[in-house]
Amino acid sequence: MRNRTFIKHYYIMLLPGFVWLLLISIIPMFGIAIAFQDFNPGQGIWKSPWIGLENFEYMFSLNDTKTIFFNTVNIAVMKIGGNLIVPLIFAIMLNELRLMVIKRWVQTIVYLPHFLSWVILSGILLDVFSYTGPVNGLLHMLGIEPVLFFARADLFPFIVVGSDVWKEFGFNTIIYLAALTGISPSLYEAASIDGATRLRRIWHVTLPGLRTTIVLLAVLSLGNVLNAGFDQIFNMYNPLLYSTGDIIDTWVYREGLLNMQYGLATAVGLLKSVVSFVLIIISYLLASKFANYRIF
Amino acid sequence: MMLMLAFTSACNSTGSKENGTAENNTTPGVTEQGPADPFGKYEQTITLRYGKEVDPTDKSLPAGDTPENNQYSRYVKDNLNIDTKVTWQAATGTNYEQKVNLAISSNDLPDALVVKDTQLRAMVKAGQLEDLTDAFNRYASPAMKSYMEKTNGVSAEAVTFDGKMYAIPSIQVHSDGVHQMWVRKDWLDKLGLEPPKTIEELENVAKAFVEQDPDGNGQNDTIGIAGQQNGGRLYANFLESTNNTYGLDPIFGAYKAYPGYWLKDDSGNPVYGSILPETKEALAKLREMYANGLIDKELGIRKSASEPVVNGKAGIFFAPWWMGYGPLPDAIKNDPKANWQAYLLPLDAEGQFNAHMGAPSTVFVVVRKGYEHPEAIIKMLNLLIRDESKFDISVPVGHYPLRVPMSYMDESEYSAKALQEVLAGSKQSEDFTDPGYKLLAADIQNVKKVKKEPYDNMDIQYWDPQADLGVWSRIYSLLVGSSSLQQDYNKVYSLLYSQTRTMESRWSNLKKLEDETFLKIIMGAAPLDTFDTFVSDWKKQGGDKIIEEVKEYVK
Repeated sequence: MRNRTFIKHYYIMLLPGFVWLLLISIIPMFGIAIAFQDFNPGQGIWKSPWIGLENFEYMFSLNDTKTIFFNTVNIAVMKIGGNLIVPLIFAIMLNELRLMVIKRWVQTIVYLPHFLSWVILSGILLDVFSYTGPVNGLLHMLGIEPVLFFARADLFPFIVVGSDVWKEFGFNTIIYLAALTGISPSLYEAASIDGATRLRRIWHVTLPGLRTTIVLLAVLSLGNVLNAGFDQIFNMYNPLLYSTGDIIDTWVYREGLLNMQYGLATAVGLLKSVVSFVLIIISYLLASKFANYRIF
Repeated sequence: MMLMLAFTSACNSTGSKENGTAENNTTPGVTEQGPADPFGKYEQTITLRYGKEVDPTDKSLPAGDTPENNQYSRYVKDNLNIDTKVTWQAATGTNYEQKVNLAISSNDLPDALVVKDTQLRAMVKAGQLEDLTDAFNRYASPAMKSYMEKTNGVSAEAVTFDGKMYAIPSIQVHSDGVHQMWVRKDWLDKLGLEPPKTIEELENVAKAFVEQDPDGNGQNDTIGIAGQQNGGRLYANFLESTNNTYGLDPIFGAYKAYPGYWLKDDSGNPVYGSILPETKEALAKLREMYANGLIDKELGIRKSASEPVVNGKAGIFFAPWWMGYGPLPDAIKNDPKANWQAYLLPLDAEGQFNAHMGAPSTVFVVVRKGYEHPEAIIKMLNLLIRDESKFDISVPVGHYPLRVPMSYMDESEYSAKALQEVLAGSKQSEDFTDPGYKLLAADIQNVKKVKKEPYDNMDIQYWDPQADLGVWSRIYSLLVGSSSLQQDYNKVYSLLYSQTRTMESRWSNLKKLEDETFLKIIMGAAPLDTFDTFVSDWKKQGGDKIIEEVKEYVK
């Protein structure tokens, strides 16, 4: 039996998190009332007139709504895929490196971009992919006509996903590397005694060892599916890219904050929250089923 | 002096009229008895908290001074005993607008703010503003009142709701709305070309600028016509009708197209300029010019549109008269030979220059409901108008707390003409006595500091910017930018400069549709006939209803 003071410590440690959750996530939830109002900031939520589902009706009548939901899911799903697979491959490759010095160096260098903000990175990307930038310089040397990347709606999702994966893969690799240290070296020894090549060892020892981590990360990222990355897209897009690059968050920002359509913006935001909520429930159910992961 | 008296009496007549509507208003701040003094110093220090717009690139404040505490705020403190405090500050432009929007939506307002039209309307609707009718009538200086008079009531109307005045409007020179063609004349001279008068000539000049290496560096790296940056406007519109730097407005004007403006059709009914055939025609030409590489390839994508101008890579751009304030100082720092001159070009098929004109008032000072001293901002603006010419503007006057531009609407052309006459020796500074042209005396005193002989040649080699860059900025803007406005040109006004009811909810969607479609058409990402789809979508998605409302409004 554990003694009582031990449990009390746990509760005290829980407290800051709980307060944070209450302040940042629970209390602002009352704001969703705005979605059903003709919101007037002077009168506040308590006194603004109620208008029922009018905001939702208008929302569904807009062509934009379909576009932004599709774009959000499209970009987010590609990001989740890239952010699972690329770090995994990279971690396995690092794991095969025998020179510890090089391994450390590589690891340090690739996770540096994680610490840069999108405000800075997007500026760099706009330069790199600009009409006179290095990428077009390279294309020019290869005899290819210059491409105006940020005018091409068809390429934009790939730039967004590619740059996000590039920024994050080093950092995500750390999780896999941690999981890799948990695989017993005796398994590798046994495999090599049985005559397994490197590839075989990766296939039969490394990958199965990482399976739960992979499943866990995949399932947990489901809850994030509708967060396609406001900071990144907001700093890079322009009207030419709306058709494939405008996501729920950027749209809500423009409508809500710039155009003061509080009710409409909140309605769209609410719909996003509802969908996200369902996805989170599903992901936790899946997580407990496949990875045996439970919070409580 | 006589003039002052004349203004005072002229204003009194309207003053009493406005008094009539506001008789029953007891504004809490206006409780003092006796005649009000527009420049009266408070006996006890009062505090005014405000949100401030700060230009992050501005390095002009001397060491120890801050946006909150500088020569201007101290001047206000010394003369009026008002302690101005900055509640929050945000970078100029979108950042500041967002901050104001946040303050409005969270109902967490400082005592006073500078806002734009849509924000003013939202705040009035939300009941967040103090009624300024009484304070204005009692405290506005004759000069301020005379500026408002000169707009024929347009400025007063913009801030009056249900007979109450809820803001002090800016009164801007109308040349802020006229977008002229700025050209590198040294490039023209080098290639043996004339300033382009027609669209066809414009194409030829732009083509020469792109292909014939006007900067002489042996590389194919010059831009014909610079374009707007990411988040910028292709053309000014009725809600943001002035100061659209790097837009393409005059090219639309050459086709008699006024996208973004509310116009009257032949039968007198209101129409929206963006959906008219003239606009399609202009777009078709712009699309062709873009495809031929005459317009900046990175139109609408660049982070900063001024960059190619400053770096000497662009030969033409379109902007109002005040380019001497920026970006030209930086441009001549990089290349002292960059001879930027302004023209009212290109012309339309009949040889006329068509300009859409801006609203006289585009920004407004508002006071939070319940603030005890609503007259304080009026006194501060009175003081600014009276003493602006005395200020040392090496620190930009934008640092004056809650500054909005206020002047006669013809100030810049009038001053330009006066300067020309003084330079020519036909008039002296004593000939200009109207104190309403508040900067003119200083301009006349300073002009010869920076303008070298011959006085009638405006090319850059006859200037001495290094003598005083601050003075140069203003004088160059006036003599080069505003002088061309003395000639005749066709002035097109929008039927309205603010939103109707349906616009409040639908406009952002329609505007997005418009921005997206036009940019795509010009840059070749969509066929020209997308325009027709746009027109029918625009009408369906609320446009028709809005046209009806505008009809109602102008009736």
